[in-house]
Amino acid sequence: MAAHLSYGRVNLNILREAARKDLREFLDKCAGSKAIVWDEYLTGPFGLIAQYSLLKEHEVEKMFTLKSGRLPPADVKNIIFFVRPRLELMDIIAENILSEDKLQTPREFNILFVPRRSMLCEQRLKEQGVLGSFTNIDEYILDLIPYDGDLLSMESESAFRECYLENDQTSLYHTAKGLMTLQALYGTIPQIFGKGECARHVANMMLRMKREFAGSQTQILPVFDTLLLLDRNVDLLTPLATQLTYEGLIDEIYGITNGYVKLPPEKFAQKKQGEGGKDLPTEPKKMPLNSAEELYAEIRDKNFNAVGAALSKKAKIISAAFEERHNAKTVGEIKQFVSQLPHMQAARTSLANHTSIAELIKDITTSEAFFDNLTVEQEFMTGVDTDKVNTYIEDCIAQKDPLLKILRLVCMQSVCNNGLKQKVLDFYKREILQTYGYEHLLTLNNLEKVGLLKSQITTRNNYPTIRKTLKLWMEDANEQNPNDISYVYSGYAPLSVRLTQLLARPGWRSIEEVLKLLPGPHFEERQQLPPGLHKKRQQGENRTTLVFFLGGVTYAEIAALRFLSQMEDSGTEYIIATTKLINGTSWVKSLMDRPDQQV
Amino acid sequence: FYVKASYKEKRLEARLSLLQSAVDEYSKAKNEFAAKATEEEMRLLRFQRRLEEDKGEHLMGMSLQDSMQILLSVGLHKQAEQLYKDFRVPDKRYWWLKLTALADKEDWEELEKF
Repeated sequence: MAAHLSYGRVNLNILREAARKDLREFLDKCAGSKAIVWDEYLTGPFGLIAQYSLLKEHEVEKMFTLKSGRLPPADVKNIIFFVRPRLELMDIIAENILSEDKLQTPREFNILFVPRRSMLCEQRLKEQGVLGSFTNIDEYILDLIPYDGDLLSMESESAFRECYLENDQTSLYHTAKGLMTLQALYGTIPQIFGKGECARHVANMMLRMKREFAGSQTQILPVFDTLLLLDRNVDLLTPLATQLTYEGLIDEIYGITNGYVKLPPEKFAQKKQGEGGKDLPTEPKKMPLNSAEELYAEIRDKNFNAVGAALSKKAKIISAAFEERHNAKTVGEIKQFVSQLPHMQAARTSLANHTSIAELIKDITTSEAFFDNLTVEQEFMTGVDTDKVNTYIEDCIAQKDPLLKILRLVCMQSVCNNGLKQKVLDFYKREILQTYGYEHLLTLNNLEKVGLLKSQITTRNNYPTIRKTLKLWMEDANEQNPNDISYVYSGYAPLSVRLTQLLARPGWRSIEEVLKLLPGPHFEERQQLPPGLHKKRQQGENRTTLVFFLGGVTYAEIAALRFLSQMEDSGTEYIIATTKLINGTSWVKSLMDRPDQQV
Repeated sequence: FYVKASYKEKRLEARLSLLQSAVDEYSKAKNEFAAKATEEEMRLLRFQRRLEEDKGEHLMGMSLQDSMQILLSVGLHKQAEQLYKDFRVPDKRYWWLKLTALADKEDWEELEKF
């Protein structure tokens, strides 16, 4: 079930097992039957660590979601709250407990904070007069969650907002802690590179923690050679662009959460004779997406224009395999064929599923609106007319297209032009406020604060310089058989990934000038390895780099990094870690202020 | 500066006075754009209230664009026109709006006139 985690260059299953062990230990601490009350946000990420069956083995009998009022009745000895350390959640818990006591048999209460316990929260519980009711208060350290063979995420939705808007560095602390856990399991990472303010902070914290633990050196041969820390605000442009890989598009259109996607059910209705049309499923179809599925692993990172061809090729292979049964003559041959059947059946289902998904996406990508949008994006990225009010954006506002789409485009223009002229910026802002309502003034303020929107102060626009030196725009991107990472956006090569590529070869020294144009410091640190642990590299063996995106990473960037890993002469394999998997829409959304929603 | 967060929650009169203090704060912070936009918001709210009293149309809290659309679709062209002038709405956007609103209503006569 989690086999796909161990296929990669680095066996991430070790991390998952460690997380499961901690969880089991905590559950065993509370003897007897138990019910878990979930902070709803946590259920998704937890599903990736432990299935219900594991919990059941440890006498978990009921599960509820946390809500105010009275707890639902359950005949169990322990109640365990699994929560994030948030004050508003503490209030709910207190309410739960206070409305409880008068009832029948007393139950034991426990709290498990994920990922850290906080003094503030305990103080709040004390104020509410319920702190004494808990038998156990503990923390469950869950920083980096393995998502796939080469992908780790903290799934902390607001990390970007906290770091860059609210100047709250809690998530950076979690990051540093998470990286320490990783080093405890996989050995000290000898080289650390970084670019950006937050990267600097994380590296400093790591080095400090390292000093604190001096003496307790791990005697593990290092698995990672290099760690690269990248601030999201070094590359604000990439997430704004529409991703054009298969996985990226699924995320853009339907949204992937915790490795699952929800799709409209119509396309997947089982066509059985006799009961056709009677009970069409109304629930959206939920599908897991990871590299455990052979076909998906193959096509996820392809440019969407190449997916069709790959699917039809696969279809031919599968039907050819089925045809083989006619050639089977001897009993042995037939037996062998039958033994392969389940595998082939699975392949066929997965092919059918992905063909349906591809059809759904194709309907959208071939639409005029999608094409127009893409054209404008590409104009911005190549630097066409970025200093004027764009007529397409104007029209979109007039037709009241989704606000997020507008914000994405306006921000993109601003980033590509290194800020907009005051007049242009004010025009957009006025248009947005008048059309979508004045309450969005706060959102616009936020966007300006993190640098996504800004007015041009200097007349110099350094985006073209950056674009040229780093070759961010490739005229002849080959979508079918890519030879450069720019295929993931059909022409635009993600800045972040380009930096990663250049770090491996020829090194950042060659691009000092450009690095200075990007925000934040760049740095290099070395961590001493205990003698005897220096890896003796065999000829032709690849280096392994862990790339950590502080503030989120998109699927297209992941695809580009995977592509680099696979290139024969790159000599480096990449493992990706991030605070959150994002796309432009979810990212801009996390920066919005919606007072009406909080009420 | 952060009075802005509070002004969302209160209603009507209280809201207007909170907005006024937001305007003051914005001007103090030399954020001209925000100050002007907030003033505009107050103007819109007052207008909406007047309309609600006169015509019984519920517009409170809607965006300018939505207000104009409703006005057009119930045939209050004069009021919509007034908003368009008062708030210096760009022609392009207003025409788009008027076209779609009238077409939705299938008010071809008015469309002819326009």
